[in-house]
Amino acid sequence: MASRNLRLLAALFFAGTPVPAGVLTKIDLPKDSPVVVRSAEYGELSETARGGAMLLDLHAALSLQNAGPRRIHGITLLVTAQDVTPGGKGSVTVTSLDVGPDETFPVRIDLRLLRPLQASNNVPVMIALDGILFDDLSFYGPDRLSSRRSLTLAEFEARRDRKYFKSLLAEGGTERLRQQILESMTRQADRPSVDVQVVRGGRATNFEAEKQVQFAFLRLPDAPVDPVGGMARIAGNEARAPRLEVKNRSDRPIRYLEIGWILHDHNGRDFLAGSVPADVSLAPGQKSQMLDNVTLKFPQRDGQPLAIEAMTGFVSSVQFADGSVWIPSRADLAAPELQRVVAPSDEEQRLVQLYRKKGMRALVAELGKF
Amino acid sequence: MKHPSPVQLALFAGGDTGRLERWLVSRHLAKCVECQAEVEALGSAGAELHALAAEAPPDLNVNWNRLTEEMTGNIRVGLAAGEAIAAFDPPAARAPRLRWNAAMVLAGATAVFAVAFWVSLPQPQAAHLLQSLNRIRTERIGKLVPGHAAPATDEVMLEASSSAIELKDHDRAMSLTHPASSDAVTISISLQGSAGVRYVDADTGQVTTNKVYYGEP
Repeated sequence: MASRNLRLLAALFFAGTPVPAGVLTKIDLPKDSPVVVRSAEYGELSETARGGAMLLDLHAALSLQNAGPRRIHGITLLVTAQDVTPGGKGSVTVTSLDVGPDETFPVRIDLRLLRPLQASNNVPVMIALDGILFDDLSFYGPDRLSSRRSLTLAEFEARRDRKYFKSLLAEGGTERLRQQILESMTRQADRPSVDVQVVRGGRATNFEAEKQVQFAFLRLPDAPVDPVGGMARIAGNEARAPRLEVKNRSDRPIRYLEIGWILHDHNGRDFLAGSVPADVSLAPGQKSQMLDNVTLKFPQRDGQPLAIEAMTGFVSSVQFADGSVWIPSRADLAAPELQRVVAPSDEEQRLVQLYRKKGMRALVAELGKF
Repeated sequence: MKHPSPVQLALFAGGDTGRLERWLVSRHLAKCVECQAEVEALGSAGAELHALAAEAPPDLNVNWNRLTEEMTGNIRVGLAAGEAIAAFDPPAARAPRLRWNAAMVLAGATAVFAVAFWVSLPQPQAAHLLQSLNRIRTERIGKLVPGHAAPATDEVMLEASSSAIELKDHDRAMSLTHPASSDAVTISISLQGSAGVRYVDADTGQVTTNKVYYGEP
């Protein structure tokens, strides 16, 4: 009956009657979920006709409450709009949290849907829980988006960076910490950023001749994986079909790894194109190939055409068969090639923002909590 | 005086005649009161039929856009199949060259046929055919434009920019956006099929990452 009412309201909306965005949204949390929805506020739904389609803007501000006994350090919500993108999905992840029992935290979802006028009047947006990571690294949720791994990696990065900033504070006081925070802000401002389009498959839209370019590798001393070789096809502003060979040089079996992919253009600019991930089963000493039939396109930006000349790869994360993970150390990330292009971790970003908004005292107090 | 056939009058009343036929029937109607009355009667019957169709339950509605998409898709599949078969064809024997006068005759005949076909086609169908051909032309030639940033439109595409991430599928799209006041916006791409944008909320200081993913291949 509820579903029928929702459809009726949605139908009224499409007949021109303004309705709140909440009518077109359904939040579905499991009964034993460690978080509950304390409140959900929806902005007014805006609709704009665009040719033969309708553009819908939905804004939701959820307040979630930790209903369990453990502290929440990260959460991923799954967002689906089946009528709009059959099979496709979105997610909203909040990391670097530290939410105790009964405490609440906000999650903001801003969604824009373009759908044909003839689309059915089903409730178009479903919000569900994909996973929650707790302070003891335990996890709850269906994990359809591999949230457990991504939240665990973010948590390890957070612990690494808090430890680093705390060591700076201990060794050089607030002045040393301030200096590092300012350097981080400068790097973030200088870090090149490009828009990217990703198309599955290998169709180039360029006239320019495609060439095969070999990867150069930045070897991180304590990485459990060694990149042995690799190449990708390059044509102007497109890079596609990367092929990499890696060797497990640790004494533990590996089940997942990611290679960061840095592109260098003809003007000497470097930027991080993305990561090449692979689910593998790599015994100690074993080699494996990683293939991806995907094309990355980098549209022209600021009037400057982008022509890719060379590539560098580096190991950006590894997950062992027992679930534990490896990430680059702060010393690894201090390599100039990485410092120029790799974004700071979520936690470093949060701490820098805290300093910018509230100053050194608040930052020191925050580091003292962990 | 020779009257148009009842079928011609019915097509005229519904606006379904070609340009030439419409001109001929109009000329006749200007002089024939009897046929004028017949066309008016057919016109009002058509209006009643439209009114009845509008009251029909939605379940009976035909999704014309869906049919259009299917027809266009079939044409596209046909063209692609033609290309695929051509790749396996043995090299054709060299065709005898046409003499210039024979070529002129052939070109003239083709032009006459094309014009006659176009003129005889009812207006709505002509417009529809033009639209479909234009769509196919744009999609196919779009692959060949040098430096053209937009990908072929028959692909599902992920797009990440500093303002939003988007999953596009033909005329459908889902974007996750973030407030304009957000700080430290960072784009990330995973070749396993996701595009993400991380931002720091200016009000709460919270770090949020929005992502869109391909569906199952």
